[in-house]
Amino acid sequence: MAFTSPATDERPLRFPLTSRRRQVWLVSAVCLLLSLIGIVLSWTDPQIGLPLRPGLDFTGGTQIQLERSCSDTCDQLSTVAVESELQQIKLPVQDGKALPKLDNARVQLLDGGQSIVVRMPALSAGQGQAVIEALETVAGPFEPGGQSVDTIGPSLGGQLLRSSLISLLVAFTGIALYITVRYDPRYAFLALVALAHDIVIVCGVFAWLGLTTGLEVDSLFAVALLTIAGYSVNDTVVVFDRIRERQRMDGDLPLSVQVDRAVSATLTRTIYTSGTTLLPLVALILFGGSTLYWFAIALALGVIVGSWSSIALAPSLLSIWPSRSGAAASA
Amino acid sequence: MARQQGWFALILALAIAAAAVLSSFPLQLGLDLRGGSQLTLEVQPAGEITTIGAEQMEAVKAVLDRRVNGLGVAESTLQTVGDDQLVLQLPGVTDPTRAADVLGSTALLEFKAQKEGTQEEVQSLRQLRGQLQSVLATRSDDDASELDPVEQDELARRQKELGLDGTATTETEQLEQLLARTNQEILDRFEPTAFTGKQLVSAGRQQQQNGSGWEVTLNFNAEGGEKFAELTQSIAGTGRLLGIALDGELISEASVGPQYKAAGISGGTASISGNFTAEDARDLEVQLRGGSLPLPVEILEVRTIGPSLGAENVRRSLIAALSGLVLVGIFMLLIYRLAGAVAVMALSLYALFNLAVYALIPVTLTLPGIAGFILSIGMAVDANVLIFERIKDELRRGNTLIRSIETGFSQAFSSIVDGHLTTLISCAALFFLGTGLVKGFAATLGIGVLLSLFTALTCTRTLLRFLMSYQGLRRPTNFLPARQLPTTAS
Repeated sequence: MAFTSPATDERPLRFPLTSRRRQVWLVSAVCLLLSLIGIVLSWTDPQIGLPLRPGLDFTGGTQIQLERSCSDTCDQLSTVAVESELQQIKLPVQDGKALPKLDNARVQLLDGGQSIVVRMPALSAGQGQAVIEALETVAGPFEPGGQSVDTIGPSLGGQLLRSSLISLLVAFTGIALYITVRYDPRYAFLALVALAHDIVIVCGVFAWLGLTTGLEVDSLFAVALLTIAGYSVNDTVVVFDRIRERQRMDGDLPLSVQVDRAVSATLTRTIYTSGTTLLPLVALILFGGSTLYWFAIALALGVIVGSWSSIALAPSLLSIWPSRSGAAASA
Repeated sequence: MARQQGWFALILALAIAAAAVLSSFPLQLGLDLRGGSQLTLEVQPAGEITTIGAEQMEAVKAVLDRRVNGLGVAESTLQTVGDDQLVLQLPGVTDPTRAADVLGSTALLEFKAQKEGTQEEVQSLRQLRGQLQSVLATRSDDDASELDPVEQDELARRQKELGLDGTATTETEQLEQLLARTNQEILDRFEPTAFTGKQLVSAGRQQQQNGSGWEVTLNFNAEGGEKFAELTQSIAGTGRLLGIALDGELISEASVGPQYKAAGISGGTASISGNFTAEDARDLEVQLRGGSLPLPVEILEVRTIGPSLGAENVRRSLIAALSGLVLVGIFMLLIYRLAGAVAVMALSLYALFNLAVYALIPVTLTLPGIAGFILSIGMAVDANVLIFERIKDELRRGNTLIRSIETGFSQAFSSIVDGHLTTLISCAALFFLGTGLVKGFAATLGIGVLLSLFTALTCTRTLLRFLMSYQGLRRPTNFLPARQLPTTAS
């Protein structure tokens, strides 16, 4: 049995992070810039006017999804036929309110015409049923039990956004406090920088998707962002934990060496963990169906970006920030 | 060694308990997985009430509860959410039109006077209703106990009398049908009056002065006081009854004593007595107080999902979760060999514990909830990866296997705890401040993180130590390829 000091038997560095930090920052900066451009473009787009293209959950309205019951092939159905049918519908009056206009309803055909998605201004439950009955004449018969009707008032989306933002802020504060107590304020600050980096890039990608393909973000996207936040911090904390351990062991070495060693030591773990988290997400993307498809994609993107910020961005920023004790010389 | 056996026994006992829980408590599926309708209602401030308080919410909910029960949907739930919202869930209902109509309308509390010359009819109908109610109260839903022949004859006679054909499938249903018809017949013998619930200012309850029971008190506004006096004067001493109807259904009938013949019940207050228990009195009070929705409600959201679409969601997320787990398992076996096998066992236990906790609490599983679970698997794997990487590091340095395992666990401890706790902090914030979807997600992720902490630090460790007690398994090459081991290793 051989007892050896951990400082001398370090395996060769697999990732000389600090000497490459300029490249790391360049990559992150370019990604952030592109994301911000996407967000700003979306914001200034007269049709969107918001950082991301909001879906039904945020704008309010009614979405009806119907599954047509046809064995192998469905008769050809054009969105125009459905739209013209919609314009002829006589909606039942509800509580004496003005009837919603169906002129600019948006019709989408999914799965090769097997299912229809119609989006309209908010309808009452009775009016929604009237629409389904009317559509049955052009596109029916429908699969019983295969329909979904969502009607959302616009105030509910704002409420969801508000409560998500508040809970996110509280979570950030809590995490920052925890890291400050367990580690040091620098770590807390950098963990939040890494977190903001991840969130902005995921939002940027979805802003671009919204601009180019018309993809809308729903409340599940808000859930995905919250998850990415939690995952990103968890990932970063593990790397920081290793840096702190290095500092205790090789206190006399330059900070950049400590950071390099810590990152190399956790590299395998971070890659394996991201890989194992991505596996179920990939399964969700492949088999989860349309409801969870974009949710899983947002999460997978967050995991990839989150690993990058934990392995590269946060430690490289730490390596140029000498600790208050001043014991370690900066590189 | 004894301590380790204790842990082993504990884990085994927990696994058996979890399996038992799962077999006796079914998992609760959310509407997005089983199909049904969900309506979100917001109570609107009106008139003098500018902010909605707990009291107003209770009053509105009491009214809506009655209406929801009237819909007759099995397992329907009505819950208060936040300060001013209510969420109604109707499993299996794919056309929420009726529910939306019934809930949204501001139904009326009416005071009705019994029509002249119907005293005897009403008397016998009320008697019948009393009998039916007491018979029904002793029957449970699936009760197959038959009525005795005398009662059956009586039932048939009454059905015929009231124009029912008696075709309902079970006796209980026939009885319920008859009760509903009886109630309707009674209601038909009352006529509307000028006095409505709008003139009722408040309702309360108090113990009767002779101490024998409770009575419900009513307070009217000035206009209501006059009208109530007129109304009571007209029926006092005639044997006719004063009916109180809510949403077109009689909830109470009261007689007016002959002493009010002269001037009616005046002074703007009245009390209803009738051998009420404290509970009966409270129910009536709440109904009166909020009979016609005290505040208007607006339907904010209606979500309907068909049962086959829900089943499809279940199928798909099951496939995703299972294939994700299997892929992770294969990965762990390839990378960590024997330790990977331990991780697969620990993760299986982890999944089992999670499901048992969902069934026990119970957590209603929704799509975001399942996503939270799948993500928490990632965290659980991370804990195992952290430990095994440390063990490998120690082995590469030439430490003995047993020593490496112990050091691996103790060194990975702090990063596992920190990583899990930070996630738990976010979960707590999301759970307590978030709404709907976010709450369900935070719940499963939070439970997952807590359990992951437990399984990684106890299950993995105990299983690994247990396996190490077999000499044959105690070889470093069971953990990593021989070429990575230092030549000096023992």
